Amino acid sequence: MSTPARSGSSLPAAYSERQPAQLADVLERVLDKGIVIAGDIQINLLDIELLTVKIRLLVASADKAREMGIDWWEGDPFLGRGSKDGALEERLNRLEEAAGLGDGDRSESERKS
Amino acid sequence: MTAPGRPPARVETATGWYVYGVAPTAEASEQHVHGVRGVAGKGVSLVDAGAVVAIASEVPLAEFGDDPIADNLRDPAWLERRVRAHEEVLEAVLGSVPVVPFRFATIYRSEEHLRAALGEDGRFEQLLEQIRGKVELGVKGFLSPMARAAEETGAGTDVTSGRRYLEDKQSARRRAEEHDALKAELAHESHERLAAVAHDAVANALQPSEVSGRDAEMFLNGAYLVSRDEEERFRGALQELERKFAATGAAYELTGPWPPYNFVESAT
Repeated sequence: MSTPARSGSSLPAAYSERQPAQLADVLERVLDKGIVIAGDIQINLLDIELLTVKIRLLVASADKAREMGIDWWEGDPFLGRGSKDGALEERLNRLEEAAGLGDGDRSESERKS
Repeated sequence: MTAPGRPPARVETATGWYVYGVAPTAEASEQHVHGVRGVAGKGVSLVDAGAVVAIASEVPLAEFGDDPIADNLRDPAWLERRVRAHEEVLEAVLGSVPVVPFRFATIYRSEEHLRAALGEDGRFEQLLEQIRGKVELGVKGFLSPMARAAEETGAGTDVTSGRRYLEDKQSARRRAEEHDALKAELAHESHERLAAVAHDAVANALQPSEVSGRDAEMFLNGAYLVSRDEEERFRGALQELERKFAATGAAYELTGPWPPYNFVESAT
């Protein structure tokens, strides 16, 4: 009744040979994690072109997830979705956007927090 | 002002030391980094700084000095090669000795500067003990995006009845809410179960599909500090999650072992 082919074949693939790591995973770690020790050469991480592309997307997605109530990694326990009104409106906006009804600007300007 | 045939200015031939991480002096050996190319393609050495050695490469300041590196950081191809090289050096030693991974581009102008900076840093010994015998494993969880068909009919077709339109919109909204709730539940339970078989755990910001390169939506981007001899147990916990949530369409991706990038920032 389920689809055994899919789950059956996806499982070993995840564990088998070590594939070259995806760039996003390497960037996330090497540029954003690891211990920070002061060196002689000062680099400005904001100058990193890829950071502006990739890491900003990461940050943007953190905001998006927060809007959805998936913000537990910031210390909040499960699902702070008590604030119904704002969250509902946001979902409506997103649906309208997806359907091409609303103006995309709205959620963009509200993203700041 | 430069006479023809003149050798390049002195500053361009100077070198510095790029540090990938530190390891206990008593355990690290040149053999661990033998044949590894490093960020400047010239090999990797161990620089003795007392209790710890720096896993480091001598790099040209013409490429890694203050001004050149600022330009190079804007070059995605340059950056990708160097970032991957940084990771490969640490991977080479990962299995042999505990290593505290440094963030990208920690550079000293001389061996003396390196020794002075790292030899007096008291954090390393404690961190090295904390991560001894452990590796970082990454787990990303994905869920197929919600079916869009219903949303699209709601908007695209000629809707003559306002009521019908509202009903469609309401049910689409309900489905979206259920989908979000499912993602949150998957994220929470997956992270909790994986953290239970790890020494430490971090849930990082989710990667959007532009970054992950997958259509499916990411619901978990976790990093777990796992003992080497408990890796199988960790994998078992992940397989259990796969089975448990198979019906929801959730899929997991295991990455690593990584140097413990996510677990070295705590101490001060």
